[in-house]
Amino acid sequence: MYKKILIVLVILVVAVLVAVNVGQRTGVLKMGRLKVGMVTDAGTIDDKSFNQGTWEGVLQAGEEFGLETRYLKPAGTTEADYLTEIGNLYDAGFKFMVCPGFKFETPIYQAQDRYPDAKFVIIDGNPHAGDFVPVVKENTVSIFFAEHESGFIAGVATALQLKEGELGYIGGMEIPAVQKFNWGFQQGVRYANTHLGTNMVIRPENVIYQGSFDNVAAGQQLAAQMYDRGVKAIFAAAGGVGIGVINEAKARARAGQEVWVVGVDVDQYDEGIYDGNKSVILTSATKQIKKATYDMIKAELDGKFPGGEILVFDAKNDGIGIPDENPNLSAEVESKVAEVYAKLKSGEIVVSDVRGDLIR
Amino acid sequence: MEYVVEMLKIRKEFPGVVANDDITLQLKPGEIHALLGENGAGKSTLMSILFGLYPPDQGTIKVRGQEVKITDPNVANDLGIGMVHQHFKLVHNFTVTENIMLGMEMTKGLVLDHKAAAERIRQLSQRYGLNVDPEAKIEDISVGMQQRVEILKMLYRDAEVLIFDEPTSVLTPQEIQDLMVIMRNLANEGKSIILITHKLKEIKAIADRCTVIRRGRVVGTVDVASTSEEELARMMVGREVSFTAEKTERIPGDVVLKVENLYAYDNRKVMALRGFSLEVRSGEIVGLAGVDGNGQAELVEVITGMRKAESGRVLLKGVDITNCSIRDRIRMGIAHIPADRHKHGLILDYTLQENMILKVYDQAPFAEKGLLNREAIAEYAARLMAEFDVRSGQGATALARSLSGGNQQKAIVGREIDLNPELLLAVQPTRGLDVGAIEYIHRRILEQRDKGKAVLLVSLELDEILNLADRIAVIHNGELVGVVDAKEANEHEIGLMMAGGQRGATA
Amino acid sequence: MKKEIGQEYTVALLAIGLGLLAGAVLMLVTGNNPLLGFFYLFSGGLMNITRIGNTLATATPLIFTGLSVAFAFRTGLFNIGAAGQMLIGGLCATALGLTLPWPKPLLLPVIVLAAALGGALWGLVPGWLKAKFNVHEVVCTIMMNWIAYWSVYYIVPAYFKGAYLETESRRIPEAASLKVGWLTRLFKGSYINLGFFIAIATVLIIAYILDRTTLGYELKAVGYNRDAAEYAGIQANRNIILSMMIAGACAGLGGAAFYVGYASNMQIGVLPSQGFDGIAVALLGANSPWGVFMAAIFFGLLHSGKGFMNAMTKVPPEIADSIIATIIYFAATSVLMERLRQRLQKRRQARDKTDLPLDPEAKLQEKVGGVG
Repeated sequence: MYKKILIVLVILVVAVLVAVNVGQRTGVLKMGRLKVGMVTDAGTIDDKSFNQGTWEGVLQAGEEFGLETRYLKPAGTTEADYLTEIGNLYDAGFKFMVCPGFKFETPIYQAQDRYPDAKFVIIDGNPHAGDFVPVVKENTVSIFFAEHESGFIAGVATALQLKEGELGYIGGMEIPAVQKFNWGFQQGVRYANTHLGTNMVIRPENVIYQGSFDNVAAGQQLAAQMYDRGVKAIFAAAGGVGIGVINEAKARARAGQEVWVVGVDVDQYDEGIYDGNKSVILTSATKQIKKATYDMIKAELDGKFPGGEILVFDAKNDGIGIPDENPNLSAEVESKVAEVYAKLKSGEIVVSDVRGDLIR
Repeated sequence: MEYVVEMLKIRKEFPGVVANDDITLQLKPGEIHALLGENGAGKSTLMSILFGLYPPDQGTIKVRGQEVKITDPNVANDLGIGMVHQHFKLVHNFTVTENIMLGMEMTKGLVLDHKAAAERIRQLSQRYGLNVDPEAKIEDISVGMQQRVEILKMLYRDAEVLIFDEPTSVLTPQEIQDLMVIMRNLANEGKSIILITHKLKEIKAIADRCTVIRRGRVVGTVDVASTSEEELARMMVGREVSFTAEKTERIPGDVVLKVENLYAYDNRKVMALRGFSLEVRSGEIVGLAGVDGNGQAELVEVITGMRKAESGRVLLKGVDITNCSIRDRIRMGIAHIPADRHKHGLILDYTLQENMILKVYDQAPFAEKGLLNREAIAEYAARLMAEFDVRSGQGATALARSLSGGNQQKAIVGREIDLNPELLLAVQPTRGLDVGAIEYIHRRILEQRDKGKAVLLVSLELDEILNLADRIAVIHNGELVGVVDAKEANEHEIGLMMAGGQRGATA
Repeated sequence: MKKEIGQEYTVALLAIGLGLLAGAVLMLVTGNNPLLGFFYLFSGGLMNITRIGNTLATATPLIFTGLSVAFAFRTGLFNIGAAGQMLIGGLCATALGLTLPWPKPLLLPVIVLAAALGGALWGLVPGWLKAKFNVHEVVCTIMMNWIAYWSVYYIVPAYFKGAYLETESRRIPEAASLKVGWLTRLFKGSYINLGFFIAIATVLIIAYILDRTTLGYELKAVGYNRDAAEYAGIQANRNIILSMMIAGACAGLGGAAFYVGYASNMQIGVLPSQGFDGIAVALLGANSPWGVFMAAIFFGLLHSGKGFMNAMTKVPPEIADSIIATIIYFAATSVLMERLRQRLQKRRQARDKTDLPLDPEAKLQEKVGGVG
């Protein structure tokens, strides 16, 4: 028995080796064309926000320029897990890598030295050695978004549309990008209240970080509590937790209650659709992740890769904002928001990216 | 048609063993045919072949003169061969009728014809004097009744040949009597019966003929009426067997075990011992007789420390051990042959070696500073196995599970006796064993008495107690009914006491 | 005895074979070449010294959690709490590593010991509850997992967070890391760390305890037959507590190996999957220490080779995860099935010898089982 199995295993291994040899000689590994890889952050590739936005940018560039693309999903969320997948992409010939998330900061710091002939794009983070001192090498570009500005403009839009009532915020984990959305949103509401005559209230108990990006049920529960407390719209910057928020809103909207959700990262309008053509998504605080990713790949192909730079996508370069189309906002609101956005662009309005006197 | 079933020159080999070697068994219509043999002689294998569980390597089977191939139990059923298993196969929350219908449901269209089935069962029950209520739930009826349901199952399937596998092992004396009557009725009605057993008394009482097998071979088929129990025993074991243990007179010494006014709960939190008191002296065997479930188990557990006493005292050689741990009591000289060798006596997945040191594993020379000494353990196990005639195919490194029941029990007896105890508690020490092993174990227990040890023998078999004990204590409902001198005791008197002194409870 | 061990290995190999076969089917169904897939899977874990090191590093926590589950199992306890014990072990190690400004040779033993103690404490609670109140350890260890999860969730941000992030601890200093320079250099930049050697030592110690000591004798006796153990004067309750503590300590060490060895800080909101993989490792390793060791290396190989297979083939990561899960599932359950079959076979052999009462249904099942 034992021997038989051993023999079978040996045969199997030999067969594999032969097959691969043949495969390699017939040229499985083609050289030349740029191969673009991506390592996902925690969460799935179809997370309707961060991972998905990045991947869509990679795919768009891949289709347009005929590139081979691939994404890998790390086994865990430790530095070693991320670095392993970067190594895997590198060994497989993917020498242009996009990595979304601040958790890639220390892995990319090591990878940019270990793989000097590869190019790295890190979104929402700076490579550093664990001491938060940015070290962006020539083969790396670091991309930031002004989430606070995005949250600000969404806050203004929400306040303008709803005029008066209570608003809430549900965040995922308490990490910088998520915090900045929160702070920007609060400032936007405050701006609308002082300058645009709205009367929106955000109570401290309605600003919550759930603590994860994947607990859909918890998101739904928190949203239910907030809506029960009389909150009209919730800004959910929380990945899968936000999906729970949207689900709760849809259930209530179907029952005739007036509840809204403000989406995050990408235009989440479609996520909120119920009863055919209505959606609970009032608007979304977006970051142009897809565009940024696409731009970097294009720049590399054009030989203009901005290596060593830290790029910030904000209102000035149209890197953030609310979607072009917002069926749930009135035309009047949209035009007013556009005015505020212009002020943001010109620097007339400055949004703070620290907490200051804000809630949490 | 002279024979209803004939198994001719059957041979069956398992890796390393010849279980059946050239066995011929012929069953006449309407007879009760006993199949007698020690554990491991090949009885069950032979019956498994007849019931279609194993194919024979050689030999033929004829049913009503026709040669047949019995490939599985369904074929056996179709041929009218049914088996009453030792362990019943009944669904406890189903009624008698539902259990009997299982697997061969009578239908009226798509609906089960429960009424017709119940009626048929009632008729069968009446005809053979089984007295079973078809609507009773299994969980509500006694073990004896459950066995009758098994018999009814066979009759319901029109079985002509009934195999009874050790049918009396689970029954009370009264139920055994009833079963005998039923079997006789069945035979009188033309059914043929094969009775698998190793109890000679039963064979003498009920069987017409008896085929004795030993080590896979037929020793002979005899007419029971003209063969004595002693002869049957000799055929089965292969040598002379003494039925009465040789006992020398001894004058008991000091009190070793003293139990005073003991109260204890059983597992269901019912008071199982109610003020029980008893003394056992050195050099005597006190037999504790009683119907099962009258507090014997709890008494033993309280003495060994496995159960807490609610009140009362246990003294060992004058020392109060009521609150000592199990281990302390073992060290103070209590050895215990437990009633259930699989539950308590052995760790079946340990080797024989490891089982032999179950109570001394932490003592020199087997362990030093917490480390086991394999050599010392192996040596010790080898000595015990030789001394107590424990036989195992693979020696001392075989798993306890792989040993026969008799050898398992001998291993336990050896281990306990070798503790050199002051007090030996022997609980059902020969349950389920064959004559040879019983004789051997009885001898070792008597030896302890003769060495001046105190022995408390708890048994449900009155014969065993009458045979071995010097004094007999009778327990009923957790109380001591009385103590009688074994020399002056008779079965009838003790039977009455076992029923709590009320008449009509013993046979 | 020897024969039996050989059989166990045969079974494990068979199980792995079946698992790979199932994985191959899944690859075929999704339109990939299984031979190529497996080639990249295994070369991803073995093709150079760095990758071998990474495979061992991935396997290290699994060795610990596998041992933890297996050890408890030998005492008849089902430890589902390896994940929580690992978290607490990791928390103790991280906390000390971030607090004590000691030199590495002094600090590391203290850290490792603290991790073991932390895990032991997390095993002590369910053990004690089981012994004292007969609370089922499965329920209890699962709850302990969540207590550990939320404890970390609170303690790390409250006391050990870095300057910017709320969700993870500060990076542990070099002196507190199980990674050492010579080892990293030897394996050309791999994550392999001293945890692997601690794992080997733990395997040796556990094997020694089980096979050679009276403690192991008692623990196994309680596991095989609690009634008989108590009959022999062994204190089953004490052994249950002790067994859970040792199991917890193993998992706690796994926590140290993972959080201050493989990783370099502690993140909140994650219940380590290694804790649950440990159950599969223990099953495949037949609950024997060296079996667990081998099984953990195998699982480590799968986990560390998966990414390379992804990168080299068009197998999407989700399918790759399914393939790995399928292999693990088959590997683990076929061991179960095989063990069941063997037990029935053993019983049959025993019956043939002892002429125990006939039990035709069981025999029928054995027949059926024997064919499959």
